[in-house]
Amino acid sequence: MKVKIKSWMGVATWRWIANDENCGICRMSFENCCPECSLPGDDCPLVWGACSHCFHMHCIVKWLNSQPNSQQCPMCRQNWKFNIQ
Amino acid sequence: MSLKPKQVNFDNVWQELKETVKQVLTMANVPTSVWQDRFSDVYSLCVAFPEPLADKLYFETKQFLENHVQNMLATQVAPPDRNSSERKNILMNYYKAWSEYSKGIEYLNNLYSYLNQQHIKKQKISDADIMYGNASPDNQELMEIGELGLDIWRIYMIQSLGDELVAHTLEGIKEDRMNGIDSKYVEVIHGVIQSFVQVQGYKKKGNLKLYQDLFETPMLNESGKHYRNEAAKLLQRCSVSEYMEEVIKILSDENRRAQRFLDSSSVTKLRKECEERFINDHLDFLYSECKEMVSQEKRKDLRNMYIILKPIPDRLKDLLKQTFLDHIKNEGIETISTLKGENIHIQFVENMLKVHQKYQKLIADVFENDSLFLSALDKACASVVNKRINERQPCRSAELVAKYCDSLLRKSKTTESEIDTKLTNSITIFKYIEDKDVFQKFYSRMLAKRLIHEQSQSMEAEEAMINRLKQACGYEFTNKLHRMFTDISLSADLNNKFNSHLKDENIEIGINLSIKVLQAGAWPLGPTQAAIPFAVPQEFEKSIRMFENFYHTSFSGRKLAWLHHLCHGELKMSYLKKSYIVTMQTYQMAMLLLFESCDSLTCKEIQETLQLNDETFQKHMQSLIESKLLTSSTENFERDTEIRLNFDYSNKRTKFKISAALQRETPQEVEHTMNAVDEDRKLYLQAAIVRIMKSRKILRHNALIQEILSQSKVSFTPSISMIKKCIESLIDKQYIERTPNSGDEYSYVA
Ligand SMILES: [Zn+2]
Ligand SMILES: [Zn+2]
Ligand SMILES: [Zn+2]
Repeated sequence: MKVKIKSWMGVATWRWIANDENCGICRMSFENCCPECSLPGDDCPLVWGACSHCFHMHCIVKWLNSQPNSQQCPMCRQNWKFNIQ
Repeated sequence: MSLKPKQVNFDNVWQELKETVKQVLTMANVPTSVWQDRFSDVYSLCVAFPEPLADKLYFETKQFLENHVQNMLATQVAPPDRNSSERKNILMNYYKAWSEYSKGIEYLNNLYSYLNQQHIKKQKISDADIMYGNASPDNQELMEIGELGLDIWRIYMIQSLGDELVAHTLEGIKEDRMNGIDSKYVEVIHGVIQSFVQVQGYKKKGNLKLYQDLFETPMLNESGKHYRNEAAKLLQRCSVSEYMEEVIKILSDENRRAQRFLDSSSVTKLRKECEERFINDHLDFLYSECKEMVSQEKRKDLRNMYIILKPIPDRLKDLLKQTFLDHIKNEGIETISTLKGENIHIQFVENMLKVHQKYQKLIADVFENDSLFLSALDKACASVVNKRINERQPCRSAELVAKYCDSLLRKSKTTESEIDTKLTNSITIFKYIEDKDVFQKFYSRMLAKRLIHEQSQSMEAEEAMINRLKQACGYEFTNKLHRMFTDISLSADLNNKFNSHLKDENIEIGINLSIKVLQAGAWPLGPTQAAIPFAVPQEFEKSIRMFENFYHTSFSGRKLAWLHHLCHGELKMSYLKKSYIVTMQTYQMAMLLLFESCDSLTCKEIQETLQLNDETFQKHMQSLIESKLLTSSTENFERDTEIRLNFDYSNKRTKFKISAALQRETPQEVEHTMNAVDEDRKLYLQAAIVRIMKSRKILRHNALIQEILSQSKVSFTPSISMIKKCIESLIDKQYIERTPNSGDEYSYVA
């Protein structure tokens, strides 16, 4: 072999894979965090419902807490269940 | 002694008692037994039967004291026929008489304690009555014998001799100012002056009035006159510098004099008078050389000026402070406007620090760390640091300070402790920067480069610096920096896990992989560079895919995007006489890998295989040609230019690096940074306006502007026109609207 790779120092960024552009609750892009946070990423994670809708975790938790009688997805009105991927 | 009341012959008892009273008053020897007898005489008179004789005793005693004092006056202190030399002795005579009498009257008060306790206390008006003005203390009420004695002294001695005594004491003080007088005489004068206080000492209220009216007022007048004359004389012959020296000396002499002669209540009054006449009356003169003293930094004069002006705070605030501030400012501007060369950032910070340290020390040495001067130093430094040297360009200070930190935090031969000290000091200058957000942008871009390219001297130093910034500006300011820092250590963990995963699965990828996974929003990577097309060579595609799979099993719901312009690696070259290990960028690696199966390729072939755009291709091919690993058939890269492996390549070093063009901060990057700051500011301002309006509902234009300015102060000072633009755009987006009745009022649209 004339040339061979010995080592490689790679750099990548990570983003959420969301089905939508924006969070359906706060309307912020998923590139950004929820209005309560200042930095997107680990500190303001996304969560998915069994219905496959996706929100900022802080937003959906706040939403569910404000709806004591019915735990529904604000987008499709199905019963909300966290999808543990 | 018998306690039983009995009949008493007043005259007989009084005869005897009077003798003892006289002995007590003249400080003659009174045997204890006699004292005890007289003591019980007082008692028996007070409780006499059938009728107590206390009142009679009181009035007889009073009369006796009156006679005694009048007698002292006429014989001992001021005989009517005294000649002028005897007149001079009046202070001495008075002092002797007073010393004897005041002590005697104290004893007498004890001898009469039964009368005082039982008879007089009952009649005395309560203190509360005096306090609330229900009774005048000058009523013809009875006084305790001690007090009575003092009051009689006041009436017969002081009322007749007071003015004469005062004239002599003032004469004595004057003499002391001129030539000094001996301490014996000082004691006499002080004693005389104190008698004016002591004679009223028993009073609860207004006990200094006699002293003040009789002595203090004329004393202050006389002193004032003296000071005025002295000041005039000094002005005739002194420069400002000499005048200040003299005045400081006079102030301290006079202070000592006041303590020796006067009642302690007069010390500050005399000092005030002295300051008025020597300082306040001649401020213009004192200031006349202020500019020169400051500009030539005459420490001694400035120190004296400070001492002299300190008790006059308003004046201090004005001229001296302003002059000082201007002086620092001029020096600062001079020191930063002449910078040139490669190391402007180092010169900027270190020169500014020199100025700051110099004046900080001067303020400590000369101005007692007075907060007034410290704040002048801050103001001066802030105005230098934020000054635009070139009106058409933005102020570069934020960039320079960030660069200074960068130069220290990069790998170098500087010792850890020196780096630490310099970084700590740089915070001093950092604090003066108004546009802290600009600093933050530059700092985070430089930090990103250090972390990605592993150029940091030490992670401890990096973290310590972030903490310093956090301490100065708060968590919001540094949370992205912290995040970047965290990403690097998370990545290290991730690589370890990946490697042990490979081991567990018995996978050999043949490449030593080290991957940094960054959180997209936290790193200032710039929008343009994210999507450069690139066909990853199969030699490392497999490894990358393996890492991605591993990543997705660890973190679901995430996707990775590779930033190839930031990646690099090592290639082993085995086709030459020696084998070499060369560090280079990913694109360059990809280019060289294409020569595995051939020795020459055209530019077109290379560019199309790798799907690189022109700019990227040109840049990286150029550096490979420059490194001499490849040769080119033409100087410019045309589509059919032939690129060949250089089999004649040789290098003394077997391990080296192909220099990359991207590491230096280019002018475009600076411009890009400034634009990014502008974008961030607009977002920040819009968010602030929405927040303010949401809580206030209706607000006038000016009030809104003020509120925004106060909120943004921590990180930058927005221009009014930028705020206005943000308001307009929020009106367009219907977050807020103008209220119908007033043109300059906004209301929140829910
Ligand atoms: Zn949300
Ligand atoms: Zn959040
Ligand atoms: Zn749903």
